[in-house]
Amino acid sequence: MKGVEDGADRALPVDMTIPPEQIERESQQLDAVWRGKPGLWGWLTNVDHKTLGKRYLVTAFLMFIAGGIEAALMRAQLARPENSLIGPDRYNQLFTVHGTTMMFLFAVPIMTAMGVYFVPLMIGARSVAFPRLNAFGYWNYVVAVVFLYVSLFANTGPDTGWFAYVPLSGPQYSPGHRVDVWAQVVTFTEISALTAAVNIIVTSFKMRAPGMSLNRIPIFVWAQIVVAFMILFAMPAVATASTLMLATDRAVSMHWFNPAEGGDALLWQHIFWFFGHPEVYIIFLPAMGMVTPIVETFCRRRVFGYTAIVMANITTAFFAFGLWVHHMFATPIPELGQSLFTAASMIIAIPTGIQIFCWLVTMWSSRPSLRVPMLFILGFLFTFVNGGITGVMLASVAFDKQAHDTFFVVAHLHYVLLGGGVMPLFGAFYFWFPKITGRSLGETLGKWHFWLFVIGVNVTFFPMHILGLEGMPRRVYTYLAVTGWGRLNLIATIGAVTIATSVLLFVINAIKSLRSSTVAEANPWQASGLEWSVASPPPSYNFLNAPVVESRHPLWDTSLDLPVLTGFRTDRREVLVTTTFAAHPDARHAAPSDSIWPLYLALCMAVVFIGSIFSPYFVLGGLGLALIGMAGWGWTESVPQGRERVATPAVIPERT
Amino acid sequence: MKVPRIAGDVAELPTVTFGHRSLMWWGTLGFMVIEGWTTALLVAAYLYLRQNYETWPPLRTPYPSLLIPSINLAILLFSIIPAKMTERCAKQLDEDGVKRWLVIMSAVTIPTVVIRWWELWALNTRWDSTAYGSAAWTVVGFHTSLLLLDVIDTVGLTLFYHVKRMPVKSFSDTADNSFYWYFTVGIWIPVYLVVYVGPRVF
Repeated sequence: MKGVEDGADRALPVDMTIPPEQIERESQQLDAVWRGKPGLWGWLTNVDHKTLGKRYLVTAFLMFIAGGIEAALMRAQLARPENSLIGPDRYNQLFTVHGTTMMFLFAVPIMTAMGVYFVPLMIGARSVAFPRLNAFGYWNYVVAVVFLYVSLFANTGPDTGWFAYVPLSGPQYSPGHRVDVWAQVVTFTEISALTAAVNIIVTSFKMRAPGMSLNRIPIFVWAQIVVAFMILFAMPAVATASTLMLATDRAVSMHWFNPAEGGDALLWQHIFWFFGHPEVYIIFLPAMGMVTPIVETFCRRRVFGYTAIVMANITTAFFAFGLWVHHMFATPIPELGQSLFTAASMIIAIPTGIQIFCWLVTMWSSRPSLRVPMLFILGFLFTFVNGGITGVMLASVAFDKQAHDTFFVVAHLHYVLLGGGVMPLFGAFYFWFPKITGRSLGETLGKWHFWLFVIGVNVTFFPMHILGLEGMPRRVYTYLAVTGWGRLNLIATIGAVTIATSVLLFVINAIKSLRSSTVAEANPWQASGLEWSVASPPPSYNFLNAPVVESRHPLWDTSLDLPVLTGFRTDRREVLVTTTFAAHPDARHAAPSDSIWPLYLALCMAVVFIGSIFSPYFVLGGLGLALIGMAGWGWTESVPQGRERVATPAVIPERT
Repeated sequence: MKVPRIAGDVAELPTVTFGHRSLMWWGTLGFMVIEGWTTALLVAAYLYLRQNYETWPPLRTPYPSLLIPSINLAILLFSIIPAKMTERCAKQLDEDGVKRWLVIMSAVTIPTVVIRWWELWALNTRWDSTAYGSAAWTVVGFHTSLLLLDVIDTVGLTLFYHVKRMPVKSFSDTADNSFYWYFTVGIWIPVYLVVYVGPRVF
């Protein structure tokens, strides 16, 4: 290979620039092979990571609104004592579907969405490693969304809480199909998350731009990698608990959780929280990954402590798997175990603190430009630190036993998730919206959105700390006036209205911007990442040629010209494969064409898992149908595409 | 807008690679981690339930039979040979060899799924008898799904190779199919020891 065989770390020879007419010609050729087909069929068969990323984003944001409406209904019910707006049964469904939606159908998928859309663009790749798998994951997610909400409107919404504790969720205490819906919704979301995780890991490890060695990977991508690994180990736990245990206990009379036959209710809690606690970090770490590029861009300086931040991410991921028992302090856990998990729960604050200090140092003495993305980061720092501190409080067994199952926990988790997850996410929306859509969000409406959101979150959830300390249990549909909780609940409800107003302003802002004729530049914020080197929105093939990276901040450090590698075929979809550590160019792989089979197979999964609620025969039927899909998928992927260069361990012959 | 400068050319890079140089190999590895970890969690849950019983298996539940599971284990271990030969032929781009060994690999691996049916009943308990039965059936059942998946993949590749002109990259996919089969067999060994031999030991 010419020019790069010595590795991209060395100075690259300036050979020539590419003539504009060649750029024009190759752009058209590549667009012809990468662009999805028009029409409904093209829409259903599209496997482009940007298209799917956008669909994930829109679907997940709709779920945020749906979950928000459920929250608003609950707040309306709790606004005053002995309210009769919503009855207990509907209320049970509402808080269960709210939690399930926000955790499984909003928070994880929207972080996945950001990864699926931006990881290839940030590492200089044309695609994710497995585009069809990506589409398969998305369609599974859509099945989960449709299934949950159709069930809710059919009065079959799950009603045992988002963590579906047994024995309440078991066959004896929850007859009917409400819990089955929950178990299978979880199954679909796990399939979706796992496929995305594999995609992000392989894409980040094997498709980075030449020269992007491990120590040059953007921190956002590092966060996505770490989280993808967490998903590999966390999601199988909940899939095991819900699909292989709870669903089988309910459908075919297994006894995993039936103490009368040697089963164990605590087993559910162990396995669920072995997933459930890392889940918090699966939501939170990608958001932390969004903070760094925003802070860098608006402070006009490189982040302090790149290595420390990356190591903090990895350390957090490890610790996250060692704290699940702090959700179970109210169960008979041995004292030594309690002490260990208390210590672990406190220790995890350290790597998080390291990241926060790194951002503070970066901001220190800089003059941050207080545009909306940066405002949301400041809101995040304030709100999240408060949530983090109550987390450390809850790590103490004595305190936890007092606060267990009260509104104090509700306050804590919403401070962490809204402060640590949603605020950076909104900042990221404002930051990357121009890249995704080619339009910029309005600054004035954005500031209104920011202030109302931050105030709303604090007004809603701060009173809940006090309510919890006063003993108000979570998941009650009403309370007596004599408790004296009415005033604080009313304040919380006013806060919820404020949040709803702020989100409405964001939606109006987005619609207004999309209709605007002002087109965003390629790099409107003068940011440093590779994603800003391509047009807004990016072309179908992302990068005309493979960019070569010489530093962590390619657009800040490469003064005039951007080095690229040429020589790709333009008659088929082709991606560059690089080595895992140093990212040396290693191969050109053909990327698969658009396909209907991912959608077809996701529908087969729907037959299998939804059908399993009613009869095992659906499982057999669905698997039979899936055979056709697997054959179709394989058949359409194994098509000769002209002359290939083969690298076996020994020789590189040419074959067709 | 920055001006692109040509720093090198990738035209001579290979377009079909094997093992860790191939994207599909990494994807396969990812799914091995997921499935291996799920198996580990199920085995852990199986052992967790052990503490709820005085005896294991529970009273009036016989030990699992060893004959059929041991026969199937022997076949699984033997199947490594055709899998390895298929992989070797694939890496040598030997299409005739791949076709031949895929047929043999299919012939050896299909019976393992069939025998698995009797292997489940060799647990000598039903899934709905006790928590012990539920755990044992689920652990073995989950592995069956992995086994079935790779047998379907092997048979599918065999059919494809015999009915259509396959692209060169299918050699790499074929090698990865063997790679997954080693995992399927390898992970069965601890499951076999825990579920079929274990009750006699602990």
